[in-house]
Amino acid sequence: MKLLLVEDNENVADFVAKGLRESGHTLDRADNGRDGLFLASSEPYDAIILDRLLPGGIDGIGIIEALRRTGNRTPILILSALGEVDERIRGLRAGGDDYLAKPFAFGELLARLDALVRRAQGSGETVTQLAVDDLRMDLLARKVTRADKPVVLQPREFKLLEFLMRHAGQVVTRTMLLENVWDYHFDPQTNVIDTHISKLRQKLDADAARPLLHTVRGVGYRLGGDA
Amino acid sequence: MLRLLRSASVRLTLVFAGLFVVAALILAGLLWWSTGAYLERETDAVIAADIQAIGDRLRDFGLPGAVTTIQERVAETADEHAIYLLTDPTLVPIAGNLSAWPAAVGPEQGWYQAALVRDGRPYAARLLHVSLRGGFQLLVGRDIQSWLAIRALILNALGWATLAALILAIGGGLLVRRAVLARIAQVNRTTAAIVQGDLRRRLPAPEEEDEFGRLALTINEMLSQIELLVEGVRNASNAVAHDLRTPLAELRAHLEGIGRGPSDAAPIPDAVRGALADAIADVDRLVAMCNALLRLAEIDSGARRAGFAKVALAHLVAEVAELYAALAEEKGATLTVDAAAAIEVTGDPDMLAQAVGNLLDNAVKYAPTGHIALTLGRRDDGRATIVVADDGPGIPAAERDKAAERFYRGDASRGSPGHGLGLAEVAAVAKLHGGALELTDNAPGLKATLVLGTA
Repeated sequence: MKLLLVEDNENVADFVAKGLRESGHTLDRADNGRDGLFLASSEPYDAIILDRLLPGGIDGIGIIEALRRTGNRTPILILSALGEVDERIRGLRAGGDDYLAKPFAFGELLARLDALVRRAQGSGETVTQLAVDDLRMDLLARKVTRADKPVVLQPREFKLLEFLMRHAGQVVTRTMLLENVWDYHFDPQTNVIDTHISKLRQKLDADAARPLLHTVRGVGYRLGGDA
Repeated sequence: MLRLLRSASVRLTLVFAGLFVVAALILAGLLWWSTGAYLERETDAVIAADIQAIGDRLRDFGLPGAVTTIQERVAETADEHAIYLLTDPTLVPIAGNLSAWPAAVGPEQGWYQAALVRDGRPYAARLLHVSLRGGFQLLVGRDIQSWLAIRALILNALGWATLAALILAIGGGLLVRRAVLARIAQVNRTTAAIVQGDLRRRLPAPEEEDEFGRLALTINEMLSQIELLVEGVRNASNAVAHDLRTPLAELRAHLEGIGRGPSDAAPIPDAVRGALADAIADVDRLVAMCNALLRLAEIDSGARRAGFAKVALAHLVAEVAELYAALAEEKGATLTVDAAAAIEVTGDPDMLAQAVGNLLDNAVKYAPTGHIALTLGRRDDGRATIVVADDGPGIPAAERDKAAERFYRGDASRGSPGHGLGLAEVAAVAKLHGGALELTDNAPGLKATLVLGTA
């Protein structure tokens, strides 16, 4: 992927840049709002990682608004220090696509970028069927089968699996699941998500020859894809 | 009564009234000395002078001289009702205006007060009895009927005056007490509110530059100092938490980098991989702790109020319960939820979810095989309550107050995972929503009640 990182904190920028390059992405960097906006509007990127507070006369929100006004739909992930309460809401309202509070695990950033880019590349059509390997989900009938055998799920498990299937092959983090499946932005002290995943895994993979729901150590989970 | 005496204002009233009464009594005594008592002293002096004069005559001129003097005196003092009587040693009258020795006057010399009769009317008399040379007995006196009346009048007046003074003293004392008490009560109320947690509150600016005004100013200065110190400590810990996050994130990235390893190198041994995973988990715990601290700071600052919205508690509680139900089940605990009450509050849904989550997390942590009951309810005063009760070891009564302090970890929780901020965060969320976190004994176990203000 070709990515743009606009971040004035050198430590954070180096840390993100190193990780992204190691993961095989190409990266442009800007350390102020003006340069960031210039690059963002002149080069095609798969996604932009944007710090909320920037020097250079224009801050993160300003860049998002400027880009969206000109019809630029590049997915934008906003970075911001926790403690700026309504930042997430403001950032998303201005046209940002996702929001990540600093500090973050690099895996979290990568997973969210992946999800953003895939979503942007999606067809945009309403999907009624999801399939991963021999796992099938009928969104209208709300039925799930694995190798043509029905899998009985609770409503929340269905939602959880739907999210995983929509991001099949990608790593999803616990925080992403909590935000998207439970719609809460808080920090459960224990890994409560893990227990939900393991229950789901039992239902999906118990009798299967090939496990589908993988744990990605230190980051999260992945449905399908190579182990 | 003893309890009443312990009140400074009651003591002040009593001292005030006491002083007032003592002052009134001294004044009355002085008045008495210079009026009622003066009359008595005057009479006694006149009588003594008469005795002296008659005695002198007897000595100088013999019995006839004394008799003459007495007769002269009787004549001179006819309208003053002076009393003179000279007798021989057998008390037979020789001269004077008394027909017989009064029965009330005994054989001993000295002062007597006796009721005599003149013209058929009784009257009081003050008399001095002296034995003269040759066994003559001399009795000189004055009618004191009139000054007895005056004295009674003065005593009466002084009595009433003292009573009036007493009433004034008590009334004044009560007034002083009320005035003092009212201002002290005001200081008390405000400081109590400040103790409740709002360090930004101040006593109202004094209207007068008196002692109470100065007290208010001093207390306000003290509060400013305390606020500054608390702020300082808070800012320091926030700064530490804030500045730690970036290096922690970098550390995590380095550890992850080692885990990935250079692609051309030999595969990393499982033992090393496990140690790396443990180290990463440790870093994640540190980051979680920093985040919790910063969240606490954010809650305390009140900035979260910006995100307040109507929250249907039944829905929120049920959802968080569902989130933790799988965890409870996995550990072997039973979780029962009663969240049917339709209660709405104005609040921050994420913060409330965080608070309920922390309580459930604690319950599962300490009562992993027990029973946990989550109840949404409403108090008589209309405030919403979210109760999480477990039957685990609970918190000893002595530690309950401290349990919600930052980084406080009771003996029971040492060695178990967690950063000691969970309950502190719940308490802060409660406070943000105009409520409180109450920890009580569930006998056995802990009953944590999150009280919220309703809107």
